[in-house]
Amino acid sequence: MTENSVALPKAVVRRKKWERKIKLYKSQKSLFAMILPWMIMTFIFSYLPLTGWIMAFQNFKPAKGYWGSKFVGFDQFAFLFREAGFWRAFRNTLAMSTLNLIFGFVFAIGFALLLNEIRNRFFKRVVQTVSYLPHFLSWIIVCGLISNILSSSDGTLNNLLMWLGVIDKPILWLGIPKYFWWIVAFSNVWKEMGWNSIIYLAAMSAIDTSLYEACEIDGGSRYRKMWHITLPGIRPTIIVLLIMNLGFILNAGFEVQYLFGRGLIMDVSETIDIFVLKYGITLGNYSLATAAGIFKSVISIFMIVTTNYLSGKIEDEKLF
Amino acid sequence: MKQFRRISAFILISCLILMVAACMKPKNTVGEKTPGTATPKPQGNVVRDEETGLVPMADAGDPITFKVFIRDPSTAPSKSNPVLKKITELTGVTIDFEFLVGDLAQKQGVMIASEDYPDAIFAEASPFIDAGAFIPLEDKLPQYPNLYAHYAPFADDMTAKDGHQYILELYSVTTKTAPIFTDSGPGFFIQKAVLEEAGYPIPRTLDEYFKLIEAYKAKYPLIDGMKTVGFEILCDGWRDFCLMNPPQHLMGAGNDGNVYVDPVTLKASLYQTSDTARNYYRKLNEEYHKGIIEAETFTQNYDQYINKMSNGVVLGFFDQGWDFMAAENVLRAEGKFNRTYVAVPITNPGVTDSYLDSPNGNIPGFNGIGITKKCKNVDRLLAFYDWLLQEDVQNYLQWGIEGKDYIDLENGGKVLTPERRDIINDEAKKRELTGHVLWNYSPKRQGLYENGEPCSPSDSEDEYLASLSEYDQNFLKSYNIKYPAQLLSPPVVRPAYYPVWSMIFEEGSSARVAVNKMVETCRKYYPRLILSNLDEFDGLWQEFVAEIEHNDVKPYLEEVNRQIKQRMN
Repeated sequence: MTENSVALPKAVVRRKKWERKIKLYKSQKSLFAMILPWMIMTFIFSYLPLTGWIMAFQNFKPAKGYWGSKFVGFDQFAFLFREAGFWRAFRNTLAMSTLNLIFGFVFAIGFALLLNEIRNRFFKRVVQTVSYLPHFLSWIIVCGLISNILSSSDGTLNNLLMWLGVIDKPILWLGIPKYFWWIVAFSNVWKEMGWNSIIYLAAMSAIDTSLYEACEIDGGSRYRKMWHITLPGIRPTIIVLLIMNLGFILNAGFEVQYLFGRGLIMDVSETIDIFVLKYGITLGNYSLATAAGIFKSVISIFMIVTTNYLSGKIEDEKLF
Repeated sequence: MKQFRRISAFILISCLILMVAACMKPKNTVGEKTPGTATPKPQGNVVRDEETGLVPMADAGDPITFKVFIRDPSTAPSKSNPVLKKITELTGVTIDFEFLVGDLAQKQGVMIASEDYPDAIFAEASPFIDAGAFIPLEDKLPQYPNLYAHYAPFADDMTAKDGHQYILELYSVTTKTAPIFTDSGPGFFIQKAVLEEAGYPIPRTLDEYFKLIEAYKAKYPLIDGMKTVGFEILCDGWRDFCLMNPPQHLMGAGNDGNVYVDPVTLKASLYQTSDTARNYYRKLNEEYHKGIIEAETFTQNYDQYINKMSNGVVLGFFDQGWDFMAAENVLRAEGKFNRTYVAVPITNPGVTDSYLDSPNGNIPGFNGIGITKKCKNVDRLLAFYDWLLQEDVQNYLQWGIEGKDYIDLENGGKVLTPERRDIINDEAKKRELTGHVLWNYSPKRQGLYENGEPCSPSDSEDEYLASLSEYDQNFLKSYNIKYPAQLLSPPVVRPAYYPVWSMIFEEGSSARVAVNKMVETCRKYYPRLILSNLDEFDGLWQEFVAEIEHNDVKPYLEEVNRQIKQRMN
């Protein structure tokens, strides 16, 4: 019997496999139909635009189009890497997004932990709602608020510091380069902390309450419970978010830097996105801007794959 | 289950029907309306509109809407504007204005990259011409008598490199100009109250200018309860010409943009690193330490700048007249005439100022509307512009209706009624109640007609004098002049190349990259220079000059010189 089955011609085996596959596909017909529109959308909006990458290897002129523009190979990249402004933008982007990442995580998790400890449900809800409202403000409004608070003529912060006697004359917060990255980081914290903590709160509510009870029986204090149960409980969430955020490490935001980026602090405020905008759209050098964009994407993909691999190795938590 | 299916099918079908019906509706109403509006208009004999006395266009019954992009950040008039409604009734044409939001260069780049053009565009012409977005007009214009007569004298200026005419120039297309009443271009402006306080002197140097401001600020540290601001420097985005342009004017030049052009040899050079510039920023540095300039001025945006000025607390600044008009309108509306501004002839000692431009019979040739290849109906749009150029239509848009909005004078001139004048002085009312926006952003008559009559109230001496407030009349009398612009030297007729800022540089060319780098360096260093400690200034200045030299600006200067030579021949 076994010999017989082994002796079956390979072609037949393959056909059988195919038949099984087709059968499987047929039985899932409706599922495919459902996912198709989204696949098409993803293709149109995420993959089709990639054809524009060809510009990075050309000396692109809109009037001539993709076919008429001259092919120049890696010249645009070579120019980009020689350009001091690009590396400055790269440094600024990396610095600001690292600050954003660290402060974003620490404050959101810390806030969620504290909020989770509140027993009065009404109070908890009010605080939560109030804290995530800034998320819905657009950056232009937030920047208006910040510039009023930091203003050197009758600004809230300067007035407060002067009243406390810390400084004796107003500081031009938005005009001094060394403060700028911190202003960006704290604006981000103010705007996004509440919103980002929602996902951690959700993760916390999924933790089995018997664990807390067990800890209590063992005589664990509130801090012990936070440290040994709550934090480990949301670790998978933290890691998944970290992987996703590291992929966006070269997106340090755009609006704040763009709106505050005056001459005085230009050296520390220009990010890669602003660089791309300036060269690509303003100066009409689409090719160079595309090259910078590609560079950014490549770094992002590299970062996401590496962190995913590392976290798979160390923690056994992987996104893909 | 079956029933559920039937119900859902029914709902789905009724939704579809509703959708189709909703989409069809506009067409239906238009179809019904057309004969209605067409009936009172008999064909053959010319019948004038009762209210305005204008002759309707032949295809007024066939409505069409053109979308026109405008490079200026402004607001479009609402649909209920009575003048625009009338124009649409008489012509069938509605112009849907899309004003700039954000940065112009970016908007242009996006439009070009996506080829998503409106029917017509008023922006920087060259990128659109290079991208093949505009259609050539030279063969079409002769079919439209008013347009042709209007533009024919400037045909050479309007012809682009490739031999075609793409642009319907919007400004100063005139052979007979009106006198210049006020400086609407660049200048050192000073609040009238400061001059009044000092007994009406004419400051001519920076030292004299700042001395007046210092004295006034010392005497009046508060104005209307708010802190007095000595001198403002606007640095917001592209408007930072307020920071960068003054040295060339101190050297006695007009506004050439980023270079100084020697009036004799016509050679372009950088004024940014000249001794004049060094002394200017040194002076500002001193004024900063005296408290006349506040550091805040380098971080504030345009709205904050206008807002401060509208409060009447700013004593002086360098700017261009059109850029702070909004603030002056507020001051005038509040009756604070002594807080409005006047330009004074500040230059290096012994140099004659030349802030005012006299028309030199040339137009830039690209400062206007281009019709795109996506335009729905080119002939219809041109016919509309042609219709607008009629003298009585122009009068209707600018002056209004005789008896109601303006009065004919015995000397042949016109003056507005006080009611109409109030409307014109209020930006929002002007936009909503007059045809100003349509007039401003369409081919138009400016200056004087052949018979010497002013085309618009702003060109009319009778109207200018009639509209002056009592304060301004006294102010001018104290100086013994007729208009504020007479404080400056008479308008200068410039060489044909003028101005350099209007020259076109190819996208991504080395000249363009070079000038951009140079401007960025200035943008970065000037505020630092002004805010530096007195003893650090010289070192920082040398660093600045070294950086300008390091970023080779030669390709830009060479290209400018080449274009000057080309235009002078």
